[in-house]
Amino acid sequence: MFNMKFSMFSGTRELEQKIDEMHDKVLESSLYFKEAFEIYLKEKRSPNYRRASKKIKNIESEADDLRREIESRLYIQNLIPDLRADVLQLVENIDKVINEFDEVAHKFYIEQPEIPEKYQAKFRTLVKQVCECAENMVICSRAFFRDFATVRDYSRKVYFSEHESDKTWASLKQDVFDSDMELAHKNQLSSLIGEVADVADKAEDCVDAILIFTIKRDI
Amino acid sequence: MNLSYLFFLSSGLFLGWSLGANDAANIFGTAVGSKMVRFKTIASIAAIFVVLGAVFGGAGASETLGTLGAVNALAGAFMVALSAALAVYFSLRVGITVSTSQAIVGAIIGWNFYANKQTDYDTLAQIFATWTTCPLISGIIAIILYFALKKLIKCCGLHLLRLDQITRIGLILSAAIGAYALGANNIANVVGVFVPSSPFKPLNLGGIYTLSSVQVLFLLGALAISVGIMTYSKKVIMKLGNSLMHMSPMLALIVVLSQALVLLLFSSVSLHNWLEGNNLPTLPLVPVSSTQAVIGAIVGIGLAKGGRNIDWKMIGKIVVGWVAAPLMAMLICFVSLFFLANVFNQTVYLP
Repeated sequence: MFNMKFSMFSGTRELEQKIDEMHDKVLESSLYFKEAFEIYLKEKRSPNYRRASKKIKNIESEADDLRREIESRLYIQNLIPDLRADVLQLVENIDKVINEFDEVAHKFYIEQPEIPEKYQAKFRTLVKQVCECAENMVICSRAFFRDFATVRDYSRKVYFSEHESDKTWASLKQDVFDSDMELAHKNQLSSLIGEVADVADKAEDCVDAILIFTIKRDI
Repeated sequence: MNLSYLFFLSSGLFLGWSLGANDAANIFGTAVGSKMVRFKTIASIAAIFVVLGAVFGGAGASETLGTLGAVNALAGAFMVALSAALAVYFSLRVGITVSTSQAIVGAIIGWNFYANKQTDYDTLAQIFATWTTCPLISGIIAIILYFALKKLIKCCGLHLLRLDQITRIGLILSAAIGAYALGANNIANVVGVFVPSSPFKPLNLGGIYTLSSVQVLFLLGALAISVGIMTYSKKVIMKLGNSLMHMSPMLALIVVLSQALVLLLFSSVSLHNWLEGNNLPTLPLVPVSSTQAVIGAIVGIGLAKGGRNIDWKMIGKIVVGWVAAPLMAMLICFVSLFFLANVFNQTVYLP
């Protein structure tokens, strides 16, 4: 009996662990992104920044492997097709957030933008807000798997952070274009600000989908 | 046993086939519709359990139907079963979901009128009462299950993937229970009217178990239901399945389980005896409709969720069908018996 019970749920348990690990990767990439950004502000493209950026790259490639493994396991596991499609989409959305962290960190490394002192505080706020948004998305997504009742609460937090990051993005962009920097410099900063803000947008898209999945599966 | 008996029995077997084709959608339609379980797997399980339910648990409901009107001539039984089947068929053609349980009662009363036999009004009243209580009890069970499962899921904090696996197992088990209950409860509709004229001899199954002559008749009827499940229910499921009741797998499980429990309540002789022994109110052992039970459960869940999504117009249409079908069966039976007796010179009743 124990063996039967064990084998019946062992595949599911492994899959659960993989999905949990995928969520951990978002948290890790968010933490390292904040760290990398601080290093960049202080040291620009230093060996330290290179290491921090490399860490995010590694997390991104581990997350890609995890996503592929989850996808193949989802088919082996023989879940309800409707649920399988939802989980697949969710994992892909989570992966997009991690990819965005990696892309932005890499862009800083390649383009080495000059961030004037007076804009650094707002830039920090923006980074903090998008990371908060991604972290709340993780809590919301975990709740989808464990506790439907709290999904809505966490989704509110994500929407709030995303809204705040939008305001910061708009204000920062305005400050940049109101300045007397070279147009090329303005464009470069504007593009980077937009990319950072995109992390929150991707997290918001992910939560939008989670809310629909929850409505579909709520008892 | 002569061939004419098999010919007359064919109307009952046809009724069994259509019951299997239609009612299987109630038992495992949602499981197949949502592609949770393969049709062949679950249909095979259901076919086996229908036979087990009919052979080993079919006596109770059949006895009550016999009390309503003992159709004592083979040709009469043929026409009773055929009228019920036709009433169901015509109702389905105009898009109303009806049940064989109601149609067969109407047809038996039609035979009683034709044969000038006294209808047992106490039994009839009891049967009429179950047509209201069956969906009601099913609705109450569904509401209880809904809140209990909701609380249980919240307390356990099960991972969604594991919950999915448990739901799948639950749906298969409910289908097995539902099929057993359908066999036990509805076999009376299929071949119940042939019991008084049954020519079968007891059948010894390799010295392990001996089936009584009635059980052999039930076995034949159950096989017809199984053939209906295996050959035609997939079409019905694909046509009605999810469009009729699009719901989450957990809600589908509640509906299927409520329906299975109600059918069991109305067919379990041991439960009936236990309630009677403890001076508790008993439920009559009457063939009830699985469609009625399913609709009762869906309305129950709808009410538990605040009652916003219930299509009362559709419910009204279904209730009209529940009244119209037995009346139609009664009329068809009465008129057809007249033709069978006077045009084809068949004995449709014994004085």
